[in-house]
Amino acid sequence: MSENIKQNYLNHPKGLMSWLLTLDHKRIGLMYLVSGILFFFLGGLLALVMRMELAAPGNDFISNDTYNNVYTLHGAIMIFLFIIPAIPGALGNILLPLMVGAKDVAFPRLNLASFYIYSFGALFAMYTIINGGVDTGWTFYTPYSTQSTSNVVPMTLGIFIIGFSSILTGLNFIATVHKMRIPGLTWYKLPLFVWALYGTSLVQITATPVLAITMVLLMLERFLGIGIFDPALGGDPVLYQHFFWFYSHPAVYIMILPAFGIISEIIPVHSRKKIWGYKFIAYSTLSIAFIGFLVWGHHMFTSGQSVFSQIVFSFITYFVGIPTGVKIFSWILTMYKGQVSFTPPMLYALSFLFLFTIGGLTGIFLGAVALDIHLHDTYFVVAHFHYVMQGGTIVAFLGGLHHWWPKSFGVMYNQTIAKICAFGVFLGFNGTFFPQFLLGLRGMPRRYATYSEEFVELHSYSTFWSGILGISIFIAIMNLFWSFIKKNKVDPGSNPWGGMTLEWTHTSSPPHPHNFEEEPVLEHGPYDYDKVIVEKTYK
Amino acid sequence: MSEHHITPLRTYLIIAASLLFLSGVTVWVSYIDLGPLNIVVAMLVATIKASLVAFFFMHLLWDDKKNLTMFLMSLMFFGIFVTITLLDTEFRGDLDLNPEVKDPINKRAVFYDTLPLTDTHGHPVDEHSDNHHEDKDHH
Repeated sequence: MSENIKQNYLNHPKGLMSWLLTLDHKRIGLMYLVSGILFFFLGGLLALVMRMELAAPGNDFISNDTYNNVYTLHGAIMIFLFIIPAIPGALGNILLPLMVGAKDVAFPRLNLASFYIYSFGALFAMYTIINGGVDTGWTFYTPYSTQSTSNVVPMTLGIFIIGFSSILTGLNFIATVHKMRIPGLTWYKLPLFVWALYGTSLVQITATPVLAITMVLLMLERFLGIGIFDPALGGDPVLYQHFFWFYSHPAVYIMILPAFGIISEIIPVHSRKKIWGYKFIAYSTLSIAFIGFLVWGHHMFTSGQSVFSQIVFSFITYFVGIPTGVKIFSWILTMYKGQVSFTPPMLYALSFLFLFTIGGLTGIFLGAVALDIHLHDTYFVVAHFHYVMQGGTIVAFLGGLHHWWPKSFGVMYNQTIAKICAFGVFLGFNGTFFPQFLLGLRGMPRRYATYSEEFVELHSYSTFWSGILGISIFIAIMNLFWSFIKKNKVDPGSNPWGGMTLEWTHTSSPPHPHNFEEEPVLEHGPYDYDKVIVEKTYK
Repeated sequence: MSEHHITPLRTYLIIAASLLFLSGVTVWVSYIDLGPLNIVVAMLVATIKASLVAFFFMHLLWDDKKNLTMFLMSLMFFGIFVTITLLDTEFRGDLDLNPEVKDPINKRAVFYDTLPLTDTHGHPVDEHSDNHHEDKDHH
């Protein structure tokens, strides 16, 4: 670390234009982070509105039509504007080049273009909200979506545009991993987060075009009356579901694979132990990415698709459990006999292990055709995918933010508050969604603004804990931003968790505008805690 | 990859002629009702044409094999999508005892309703449009 250590990507160069036209992956990542978190808050607010309405039966808070709009926007915003772009766009952008020792991603201009395409698509989504919302559910199932008078067109157009941002980011990351690694950084020496981003990118560029095609077909039918999904015009409504889920099931893995990557980084660092089964984790990432393309029909068990395809889809669905199980056991074995320290990132990683496992196992329930006929479109499904998406992805995202916060921004948050919030998130999350499994088993259907008396107790319980969850997440994120405002700086050379990957060992915190002052030389693998001693250094 | 491949003009012209010929084939074959094979034939011709463009005009044949791998991967994913979706559409309603919903999908393009009806050998058939999908019964 030399004398120009005070120069970092946050303060050099200065001025608004230097941010708006920046080609620096770290700045672009930060812009993704801020916009992602804003949408996260918006989506979260909509969720709390729903829980308020569901606190008691009857329409005492919002009307049925408003409720339809609220759950559609909650789903669409959380998925398309926050979860899918946030981890690859924010953490991926900031960390990927640092982890492979590069100065930037392979195509910096394309990277900035991705961000603006994302913003442009988000404008359409915002227009939808201002113009009265959309009430089809985030899946836009036909035939209703071709008939609904709400804003189906601007919303789908927005999603269509955001899809291109995903594709370009994926392309950029793949090129970066192939071409920008420093000499000696072979595939098996890459941090597992890089493997995860690579797998995610493959899914992004192979699956997202199908979403674009689906949205175009939907609009062709709406505007030109071309019969694709409408039986009256010679189409097939179930075909829409095939198209939609051929993208959206792999999209589940776009959402969860980066989270797996984050957990694979947090656990060895905070256990100070070499990751168990590196190659197993790396290859399970790729196999999840591939198997994810073969199982979309398990979303359609009650759609009227043929019994033959139901059996095929149900059978293949179980295979997803194998690579996922490989990962879970590898993480647990990594902690075994390690020096586990219960830092905020590690608390989130441990929460992830519990919550994601519950989410994954209930997925096996839903993959069984016979059981799914009963559970389909009930709160059991709602609870299942929230355990995966929020208990899995968002908890991992929060863990990742806490883990790389001192690295990315050179400031340290209040760790006590962060730990309390991590507990709050864990308790609030289980309190909110565990009752929903029970509600679903007892037959409470999803997407209804009201319900019969027998469900009151569980629903009000769920609403109470959703408040705890909301407050915990809000304080956790405010705690992070507060450290930034208060300028609670860490020493630029510090490595507070004792990480071994290049971003911890070879660059300052926050990193230099060009990442490394000179090309880093690889001295050890990413998790060689058995060979090299890396001190935890913190101001 | 190391050297830029220069394709002789002759090759380009042959490929262009083949593409035009295949376009003609697409139009010609659309007037023959092959039943369920209509879509298969149309897609086959289109795939051959797209491959000719990719391999020769876009130089994929002489390019880095990684790019070819990407191209083949996209075909593979497309194949997965179509094949598994056909597992649904081809067997839809097969366990349903009600004959009215037995074959719920109209598998024929509306286009063929405007043509004079023929069997798979192109011979005219005087039958009303209700029984289109039972071509084999008309022999």
